[in-house]
Formats: sequence, structure tokens, C-alpha cells
Amino acid sequence: MKTDNPALEFDGVEYAYPNGPVSLNVVSFSLSSGSKIALVGPNGAGKTTLLLMCNGILRPDRGKVRVHGRPLSYDRAALREIRKRVGFVFQNSENQIFAPTVYQDVAFGPVNLDLPSGEVREAVHRALFSVGLSGFEKRPPHHLSGGEKKRVAIAGVLAMDPDILVFDEPTSSLDPATAAEIMDLLDELNSQGKTVIISTHDVQLAYSWADQVVLISEGTILHQGTPASVFTDPDLMNRARLTIPPVLELFMTLRERNIRLGDVPPAGIPEMAHQLEQAIGCGSRRTAGHIFVVDAESVSGEDIRLRAAERSITHIGAMGTPAKILAGTAEIPLDFTYGVIDKCLLKAVMGEDTLIITSGGMIERVHHRILSFSREHGIEIPVSDLDGQTSPVS
Amino acid sequence: MDEHLLDDLALNNGLKEVDSRLKLLLGLGAILICVFSPSPVTPLIIAASMALIIVGLAEIPPQEYARLLLIPVAFAVTSCIVILFLSGGGEPLYTVSVLGFTLTATTASANLSLLLMARTFGAMSALFFIALSTPMIQVFSVMKDLRLPQEFIDLSMLIYRFIFIFIGEAIAIHNAQVMRNGYAGFRKSVDALSMLCGSLFIRAWGRGEEMLIAMDARCYDGKFETGTEEHPVSLLSLAAVGSYLAGCSILSLLFSGAVLFP
Repeated sequence: MKTDNPALEFDGVEYAYPNGPVSLNVVSFSLSSGSKIALVGPNGAGKTTLLLMCNGILRPDRGKVRVHGRPLSYDRAALREIRKRVGFVFQNSENQIFAPTVYQDVAFGPVNLDLPSGEVREAVHRALFSVGLSGFEKRPPHHLSGGEKKRVAIAGVLAMDPDILVFDEPTSSLDPATAAEIMDLLDELNSQGKTVIISTHDVQLAYSWADQVVLISEGTILHQGTPASVFTDPDLMNRARLTIPPVLELFMTLRERNIRLGDVPPAGIPEMAHQLEQAIGCGSRRTAGHIFVVDAESVSGEDIRLRAAERSITHIGAMGTPAKILAGTAEIPLDFTYGVIDKCLLKAVMGEDTLIITSGGMIERVHHRILSFSREHGIEIPVSDLDGQTSPVS
Repeated sequence: MDEHLLDDLALNNGLKEVDSRLKLLLGLGAILICVFSPSPVTPLIIAASMALIIVGLAEIPPQEYARLLLIPVAFAVTSCIVILFLSGGGEPLYTVSVLGFTLTATTASANLSLLLMARTFGAMSALFFIALSTPMIQVFSVMKDLRLPQEFIDLSMLIYRFIFIFIGEAIAIHNAQVMRNGYAGFRKSVDALSMLCGSLFIRAWGRGEEMLIAMDARCYDGKFETGTEEHPVSLLSLAAVGSYLAGCSILSLLFSGAVLFP
């Protein structure tokens, strides 16, 4: 997914709110196109200020912001163009949704971009489908749950078809399951080629989700790098008033106590569990379970249900809207609707067969994750579709 | 949630798929007939038939409807009692003395207050029919059909959306105050209420600013999507509404002389 040409660059950006203290102080970084970036920092670090500069809502006092290599200019026409390319989802969806119905709110962007009415309708339906809210068109926003409001806010931005998506605290005030589903949705959008930037102070979320972490504190960038490089540095964490993600902290503590774990910090619970198993020496020799991956867009739900029963697959997970809709209509009982790959990996290591229904670019993501897990731990986890056809990626 | 009651009921009512222009025609027509009716008979018939339509066709739970209706009816009853004793003409019917004042109800005042009561009751029923069968969103699309100025419609839509946000904020502030003993006693109530109003104003201002940013972030250029709906008007329902209104008008002509005390 990731390419090297930068989607977004900040070059020596400085900003102070009128009559306020300096909010950003010589901020420079560059984010590669197609990646998943987490902007991590404590309250009041300047995360929101920084994000509001990505689409020209705030204008830096000094320095340049570049989108796809072109510096932002702040005249009306240029701003329109940039706001179409850089979608911004606010922390509080209540502030973002102002129309009386879901349809009207999602249509707001396309209508203001002067699209003809047929295209507006199409854009709205596409956006609502991709956040899994088809059929909600006529609902007023005050009749939606928090998670649904967040999805409407995301759809409102997607309807303008941006290629960079900026989320300010996407999971704040959502329950854990809803938050995980929203993060899966962000993954899905990223697998469609969009660059996704989130701000958060949830270290576990940033660690497990992001490709790149930008650490910010008191208006300056402390560090930019891979999640492992940022979160394993206790000194850095202290300075940024953050804590080390629990999985990593456990890993580091166990190593301090001379328990021989691997050298690579675990990416999640499956890796941690495996490393522990190896270290204690009860690493079992049972054969790993099979993970079946099917494409929701090419196999019928009926077919999946029958074949899953035939192969006596015990756990089924769905990733992404098309898969969830398919499972819903075909009445396939789903065991996992979020964090699907990790949960299936855990089952596979235990020798159980699992099935992942997904679609589009996420198929490759599933294969990639399973493959890198197998390689890292020397466990052969067979992956195939229900016909036994193996992985499309090497 | 109680603060959403009317809106909830309207959004899930049994007549939501019916064309909103037809519903507005029925409601407004009935209100006009009630207001101009010279006798109390027609408004009472309208009130009864509206109750049947609201409970039967729009599937509003009867106890909810009764609860809603109780609010305006309570006002109407008190005003009618005042009119009963304060207006004059005709034969005296009943006399009471309150604090040295002698109050008399006469036949003419009884007629007048019954007529007023019936008109209010009938018109309120028709208004509730509109409120309970036509969600606001449908009213906006009728406004558009009526070629009302776009600015007016846009503003109404924003106001509608924000009513619920403000109710939510006000309830949150109110709860926070009650939890800290805010409304114990008259003085404290006045203080607390003034604080509630003040902070609601400031929050409203903040919300407005944030909404502008949100609109700007989505390329706001003065345009607002007005939802349109396509419910074909069936000839049968149009005929039913037409004959109902015509029937009521004829009834009110027939009963134009009917009064309680001739």
C-alpha cells in the first residue's frame, strides 16, 4: 500500500493562536502516501491545531504545508480544491452533522462542489454503503447512536472522494467494540489506497494500528518512526506524558526478568502469546489450524454457509462492509466482527479452522498479516479459499 | 427519551409514506373549518375523527395522544371557565361569589365558552394530526414545493437540527446543576437558571463557530441539499381528503344555528 512519495509535508511550521501562547513550534515532518499515520501526544500538545492545517482551516504563521508536493495556497479556489482532496473528520460528530437527515448531510459536500444531482445521489449512496449505513438516508441524526453518527460524519467526507483522510480522535467517546469497528473501517479505507491520518492519545491503538507514528508534545515533534521505535523508548514516553502500550510493556518487563523472548517486539496478542509459549518451553507441536479467506464479492453467501458447515469451520469472521452485509443476508453466524485477523490467528495456533470473509484490498492485507506471522514464528498456517486455492500474494 | 417524543412518534407513524402535501391539506383545512365554524358541533366531530385517524391510521398509542392533548386542553378549559363567568348576555344560569365579587354564568356566555372550547379542541386535534403524521423533514420538502425562499428553508433545517442539540446540552447542564443541589429553593433556582441560560448561550455560540468550520471543511459554497421525496398521491386518498373536508364544511353549514341554550 505504502509508497515513497509524500502525501503530506510540514516544513518548519509555526503557529500561535491570536493572543495565545505558541501552539506549534517549528514542526517539520513528511508522511508517505498510502500509509496509516498516528499523531500521538498528550492533551494540549497541538494535535488538533496541526491537523486543522492539513486542509487549510488554519494557516501557519511561518513555514509551509505541502499536499502531494504542492504548497498550500490560501485563496478560495485553491482551498476548495484542497478540501476536496483532504477530508477532515471532527472529534465530535455532533458538530459535523448539521443537516436534518443523513442523506442531506452526506450530500452537503458534493452539492457544494456543484456536482449534478444524479452524481450527488450516486456519491451519497456510495459513501453510505462504504461505511455500512445504506438504508439510513432518511434518518435524522439525533436518532443515531454514537457509532452511527461517526460513520455518517465519515460518509460526509467520503462523498467528496478525498485521497487523504484526517481523523481527529476517531475513537474518543465510542465503546470499545464500536471503536474497533471504526478502526477496521479506517483500515478498509486505507486498503482502497487512501492515506489515513489519525490523532490519538490511545497508545495501544496507535501501536497496533499505525505504520508510522508522529510523536508530538508541547507543540514540537519529539520523534517520527515505526510504532515499535517510538513506544519502546521509556524516556520518550515520559517526556510525552504517555504510557507504554500494555503488550509492549509486558514484553519489556519479561525481558528484564531474563525470560528469553524473541528480539522483535510483539505486534499484538498473537505474537506475544507465541513468544511466551516458546520461552516457557511448552511450545506445543500441534498442527496449526487452517485459515480460509473468501472474497465476499465473488462467492455467494449461501455457498459460504454450506461450505463452512461442510468443512466444520467453527469460527467465522467478517471484515469490511460488503462482507458484513453478505453475512447478514445469508444468515451466516459471525463470531468476529472486529480485530478479525488477530482472533483468527489465535484460533489457528490452537489448531482450530477459521474462515475470514472479506473483499477488495483487504484480502491481500489478510494474507500479508498471516504470512508475516507465520514467517516470524516458524508456524506453518495454511491459508486458502474454500476451494483450496492458495494465497494470491507471495 | 422524552425530549424527542413528538419527533419520534412522527418518524414512526403509520402515515409516514403518505404524501406530506395531502396531510398538510387535511390538517390545515380542518383547522380552518374549526376556526370558522359557527357552532360547536363540527369542531367536536373533527376532534373525534382526528382522534380516530391519529390512533387508528397513524398508529399513535392512545395514551401518548391523550397525554399530549391534555396540555393544550388544560389551558383551554381554564380560559373557557374565565370566559364563562366574565362575559355576559342572556339569562343568568349560575351565580357564585368570590371574595365579595359576584360572578354570573349566563346562557350566552355558556354558548360562547362551549364554542371556543370546541374550536380550540378541534383545531388542536387537527394540528396534532399534522405534528404526529408529518415528520419535519417532509415539511421542508413541502416548503420547497411551495417555492419559499431557499434561505428560509436552509435556516429552518439548521434550526430543526440544532433544537435537539440544545435540548441535549440544556438537559446535561440541568442535570449537572441538580446533582450539585442547584434548584433547592427559590433563590438557588433563579441563580441556577440564569447560569444555565448563560452557559447555553455561550455553548450555542461555540457550536455555531464549530459548525462554520465543519461547513468550510466540506467546501461550503452557499448550497444546502433539500431532501426531496417521491410519494405519488393516490387519487383515492386525494378523494378521501376532499370528501372529508367537504363533508365537514357542509356539516358546519347545516349546524350553523345549533347552540347549547337557544
